[in-house]
Amino acid sequence: MAAGTRRAELPAVLPLLAFGLLALVPFAAGDYWTGQATRWLLFGIFAMSLSLVWGRAGLLCFGQAMFFGGGGYGMAVLTLGIAGGGAFAAPWLALPLAVAVAAAFAALLGAFLFRGSGIQGAYFAIVTLAIAVLLEAAVRGSYALGADNGLVGVPPLPLGADPWNPVPGYYLVLALSATIYAALDRVLASPVGVILTALRSDPRRLAFLGYAVVRIRIATFVAGAAIAALAGALFVATDSFASPKLIGFGLSAEVLIWVALGGRHVLLAAFLAAALVRWTEALLSGSLGDWWLLALGGGFMASVVLLPRGLLATPLEWLAGRIRRLPR
Amino acid sequence: MAALLPPLLDILSIVLILVLVALGLVVVFGLMGVINMAHGEFFLLGAYGVFVLAGAGVPFVLAVPVTAAAVGLFGLVVEGLLIRHLLHRTLDTILATWGLSIVLKQAVTLVFGPASVSVALPFDANLTVGAFSYPGYRLVVMAVAVAVIAAVAWVYGRSGFGLSVRASIERPDMAAALGIDVRRVTRFGFAGGAALAALAGALVAPMVSVDPQMGLGYLVPAFLAILVGGAGLLSGVLGGSALVGGLDGALTLAVSPVVAQVIVFALAVIVIRLRPRGLFGGRD
Repeated sequence: MAAGTRRAELPAVLPLLAFGLLALVPFAAGDYWTGQATRWLLFGIFAMSLSLVWGRAGLLCFGQAMFFGGGGYGMAVLTLGIAGGGAFAAPWLALPLAVAVAAAFAALLGAFLFRGSGIQGAYFAIVTLAIAVLLEAAVRGSYALGADNGLVGVPPLPLGADPWNPVPGYYLVLALSATIYAALDRVLASPVGVILTALRSDPRRLAFLGYAVVRIRIATFVAGAAIAALAGALFVATDSFASPKLIGFGLSAEVLIWVALGGRHVLLAAFLAAALVRWTEALLSGSLGDWWLLALGGGFMASVVLLPRGLLATPLEWLAGRIRRLPR
Repeated sequence: MAALLPPLLDILSIVLILVLVALGLVVVFGLMGVINMAHGEFFLLGAYGVFVLAGAGVPFVLAVPVTAAAVGLFGLVVEGLLIRHLLHRTLDTILATWGLSIVLKQAVTLVFGPASVSVALPFDANLTVGAFSYPGYRLVVMAVAVAVIAAVAWVYGRSGFGLSVRASIERPDMAAALGIDVRRVTRFGFAGGAALAALAGALVAPMVSVDPQMGLGYLVPAFLAILVGGAGLLSGVLGGSALVGGLDGALTLAVSPVVAQVIVFALAVIVIRLRPRGLFGGRD
C-alpha cells in the first residue's frame, strides 16, 4: 500500500462544495421538488451503503434493497402498531429499532453466508439476488404487510409544527448524508480502510496476516445493512408509504446501477450518482417514457465496458489530483 | 393412477424447460466465465419471436426453429460487441449483461407494449387414454425438450465439437496449443446457449402469458438449479433442475405459487451455502 492511500479519499473541498450546493436546493426549488429531493438524498445514502459493501469490501450484493425495504417495512409496522402493539409507535423510537432489526437480520445472514467455506464472488451475487426475489415474493404474498398494496399512512417524522413543510425533513436528511459521508470517509481513510481494500483485493493474504476475514466481512455487511435500513426507514416516513417495490430485486438492481455508473470505489460519486440519476429520471421520464430505462440500461452497459471506474468518479478523481497538486 | 399422472407430467414439463434454460447458462459460464444475466431475455426473445412469426402466418413448426436460430445469431452479435471485452472479468459480466437485459426488456416493451400477449396453441387436442387425458401440445413440448437435451448431451459428450468445448472449458491454454480455436468455440458456445434459451421460450410461449418481465422468473430458478446441482455439466444441470423445478412444481400444486417460490428459493440458498460445489458436482 502506498502511503497515499491513508488519507481522505477526496480533498475536503469537493464534498464541502457538493453538500454546500445541495443545501441551496430548498431556496431554488418549491415544496414539491424539495420533497422529491429529500427522497433522492435518501437513495444517495442507500448508494453509499452499497459503495461500502461492494466498492470497498468487494461483496457484490445483488439484494441490497432487502435492507432498505426491511428498514422501511420495520418503520411502517412499528409506527402503525402492526408489530409491538403500538409501544414503539413514536417515530423516534421506531427508527432506531427498525435499523437494529435490519442490522440483526444482516448479522445472521452474513454469519450464515460467510462463515466456514463461505460464499463469495459470483455465488454471493446470485444468492443475494435469490434472497431479494424471495423476500419480495414473501412480502407481496403477506396480507399482514398489505400484500401488493403495501402499507399506507405511515406517520411522518415530527419535525416542526407543519408536517406538510418538506424543508426541515430535507435539511435533516442532508445533515445525515453529510454525517454518514464524513464518518465513512474517516473510517476508510484509517487503517480499517486499508483492511477493507485488502479484503477486496486479496482476502487470502489478509487471513494469512492474522486478520479475522469472516468477522470483518460480516461487520462490513452489517454496517452497510444498517445504513441502507436507516435510509429506507426515513424514506418510508417521508413517503408515508411502504411498497413491496422497496424490498425486492428491482430496487436492488437500480442501486447497483447508480453505484456502478457513479463509480463504486468513490463514496461521493455513488452518493451523487444516485441523486443525479433520480433527478434526471424525474426531468426526462415524462418526455422519454420507456426510452428512459432503455437509455439507462445502455449507458450502464457502456460504462461497465468503457469506463469501469465510473462516470462521476473519473472526473472527481481527476479534480482531486489537480487540487492536491495546487501550490499551498 | 390416471388422476395422479397429469400433475406429475406438469412437474416434468417444468423440469424439462428449466433444463433447457439452465444448459445454455452453464455452458456459457463454463466456457467463458460469463454469468449471463441477459439469459432470461434470450428466453423472452424466443417467446416474442414465435408471437411475431405466428402472427405473420408462419406455421408454428417452422416458427420455433427459425426463432431459435435468429436469437442464436443475435447471441453471436452480442458476443462480438459486448462479451468479448469482458472475458473472465466475471463480476463485470454480471453488470454488463444486466445492462443488456434491461435494454432488451425495454426494447420489447417499446415494440410490443408492457401488457402480456398470448400465442395461440398450434393445436388444441387432448391425448385421451381411458380415464387419462392430457393436453397434446404439452406432450409434444416435452418430447421436443427431451430430444434437444439428448442432442446437446450427444454433441457435448460424443462429437468432435463437444470435445473442443470440453477441452476449452478444462484447459483453454492447452486446447489452444493443440490447435483448437478457443475463441471460435466460445463464440459458438455463447450463440448455442442463446439459441437454447430462445427455444425454451418459443416452446413455452403458447402455454403461458408472454410479457416483457417474464425472463427473470426463469433466470433465477435456472441459476439456483445450476448452483444446487453443481458444476458437473450435464449431471449438475439435470439433477439441479429436477430438484428445483420438481419441488417448485409440486409445492405450486400443493400450496400456492408464492409459497412454493419462497420455500424453493430458501432451500436452494441453504443447499448452496452448505454444499458450495453442488449436490452432484463432485470435482470443481
